[in-house]
Amino acid sequence: MTGFGLRRSTIAMLAPSVGPIAVFVLLPLLLTLWLAFQRWSSQTPFSTATFVGLDNFREIFGAGSVGSDFKRALTNTALYSALSIALILPLSVLFGMLIHQARPRGATLLRTILFATYMVPMIAVALVFSKLYSPTEGPLNQVLGLVGIGRQPWLSSPSSALVSLVILNVWQQVGYFTVLAIAGLTQIPDSVYEAAKIDGARGPRLFVSITLPLLKRTLVFCAVIALINAVQVFEPVALITQGGPVGATNVVTYHIRRVGIERAQGGLGSAMAVTLLLALVVAVSAVFAAVRKEKQR
Amino acid sequence: MSSLGIKGLILGGAFGALVAASAGGAFAEDVTVSFLTHWPPETVAKLEAAAAAYRKDHPGVAVTVRAVPFGDLLTTIRSSAGQASGPTIAGIYDLWLPELVRDKLVAAAPDTNAAEVKAEWPAGVATAASVGGTVYGYPNEIDVYALNYNKKLFAEAGIDAPPKTWDELVAAAAKLSDKDAGRQGFGMINSWAAGVVHPFASLLASNGGALVVDGKPALDSDAAKETFALYETLVKAGSSEATMGTADANTTGPFLDNFVSGKTGMIIMANWWESALKAGMGDAFADIATAPIPVGPKGDGPHSISYSWLTVVSAAAAPAEQKAAWDFLAWLNGPTSGANGASAMGDILQSMGILPTRKSDVAAFKDRLDTPFLAGYVSVLEEARPFPVVLGGQEFTEALQAQIEAVQFGQASAADAAAAAQADAVSILERAAQ
Repeated sequence: MTGFGLRRSTIAMLAPSVGPIAVFVLLPLLLTLWLAFQRWSSQTPFSTATFVGLDNFREIFGAGSVGSDFKRALTNTALYSALSIALILPLSVLFGMLIHQARPRGATLLRTILFATYMVPMIAVALVFSKLYSPTEGPLNQVLGLVGIGRQPWLSSPSSALVSLVILNVWQQVGYFTVLAIAGLTQIPDSVYEAAKIDGARGPRLFVSITLPLLKRTLVFCAVIALINAVQVFEPVALITQGGPVGATNVVTYHIRRVGIERAQGGLGSAMAVTLLLALVVAVSAVFAAVRKEKQR
Repeated sequence: MSSLGIKGLILGGAFGALVAASAGGAFAEDVTVSFLTHWPPETVAKLEAAAAAYRKDHPGVAVTVRAVPFGDLLTTIRSSAGQASGPTIAGIYDLWLPELVRDKLVAAAPDTNAAEVKAEWPAGVATAASVGGTVYGYPNEIDVYALNYNKKLFAEAGIDAPPKTWDELVAAAAKLSDKDAGRQGFGMINSWAAGVVHPFASLLASNGGALVVDGKPALDSDAAKETFALYETLVKAGSSEATMGTADANTTGPFLDNFVSGKTGMIIMANWWESALKAGMGDAFADIATAPIPVGPKGDGPHSISYSWLTVVSAAAAPAEQKAAWDFLAWLNGPTSGANGASAMGDILQSMGILPTRKSDVAAFKDRLDTPFLAGYVSVLEEARPFPVVLGGQEFTEALQAQIEAVQFGQASAADAAAAAQADAVSILERAAQ
């Protein structure tokens, strides 16, 4: 086959899979990028957009209400993501080890229960948690009261609302990551543990020197997926807090919806979306760079 | 007759039958009109019953009802505009109208419907349903704010009458507050833009001020600064606990729970909360009374702000759907669709404690509006000040909400909040006007 013919057949074979990606992923991405530099009402045709250079980016990082709201949303998203990952990863490893290594009675049931939380629709989770967190009538505060701990404001205070949403996220996601952790743990051969035990390693030493290093690839994958999930948080905010109180739970995706759709400021919303995408790319790249550096050492 | 002649006759007859069937089919063809609202299920059921009654006389028109939480209403209207699945009719807050008109999402009312609105509704209400003199929908409800207070808690605290001035409000709130019992004297709502801004605007109007004067924000006026300072005073005195005022997407949540369960002595709230209060309190609803907004030091009397709702028709709907939608709305809001000269819409609104606006509905519900709870609202209607309907109004409201909440949670002083609110408002309204 000639080079030209090979190229044509390659294109023909790739087209069915690459074509939809180009249409449904790349095209909207490029359109969003283009709109980020335009002044455009999202209720009007694209032809009404006018080029404004970097004005949208200046505004979302400026000192006005648009800028302060967006920067607050960006900070909230970063905090939400960092806290979620910091809680999900250790918990999933802990539960994974409990189920895989300790093998308690009813381990399969425990694994099923943990994974079931991931399958519950967010609308149901949001409804239940909004009642659990109710400051006066909520069961959580009633239980805390029984053990002598005072009432917590949960979603009603700017200082605890975001953390309350993180707890909800951890509750829902930890089962999924536990399954991933178990999958990683099964890849570690028993012979490695046996060899370490012959060398005198026990308990925590086995975990630090064997389990954790050999689980690293799984953990990096989990961290990246948990990060992407966390950055895209939207439903609990829309369903429970509406970004409040005082913007404490206003995350970027919810803010983009408010600006780009509710206020129809499509240009500003697109600039925010592009910024979020860049922030995510930088964060994921940083994770991989850190892993590479660790490998080189 | 030749075979060609017979074939021609058959073909001609078939064609004629087809044309006749098509014409008959077009006449009897169903038109589906979808109605988007934020009303609760029990009210949606009443609207569906009205739609079913309408269908009896209009067999070609089916009206379907879809409800979303208030917090999602504007987004749903905007995101589904122009789509086949988008709503034909939507209930909207008057503040949203200028931008929906600017973006060509709503249709102007046909002449007969527009003339009816201008003739049968009070001029101010008809104006709120218009932009540039063009009517865009049927007004249905008007809402005003009043002080709601718990008579039982007042009696326990030894307070004889509801506060008439800000000084009396501060004093009563302090007396009603009991930290050990988890009770606050005066409840301030948060996490819901209109719920936060409307009571503030009512207190501001009762202190001789306004949010917008001659199209320009006036949040740095002395009257506005004093209103922010009133909030600060109540918070610092411990008479208002911000964490007890959270609202959820359905405008209920802890704010409602605390008032209903007697953990809040007073709130400033709109008349349409009557149904929520009744549902939450049962017999204890008898403990709730209404009074005019307390007057500030610069005020000449109590003034609530008022806002209205209207039903609009999508500009993207097919002509047949638009025609059917306007016909349905004329019937729904007309004096023959309800009982005793009231409209079906009037009946629906009254079931929620909402004040109707059509003159014939106000007359038909005269006795109903005379109940102790609603009479307190009807009495302030005359002196109410319309909430400013301007381009960028929703963003303006949300920015002001952020500053008011910052004072509620002790994150900003009254003076800083007033200055920041003014700066934000100037920039938002200028940008929206471009």
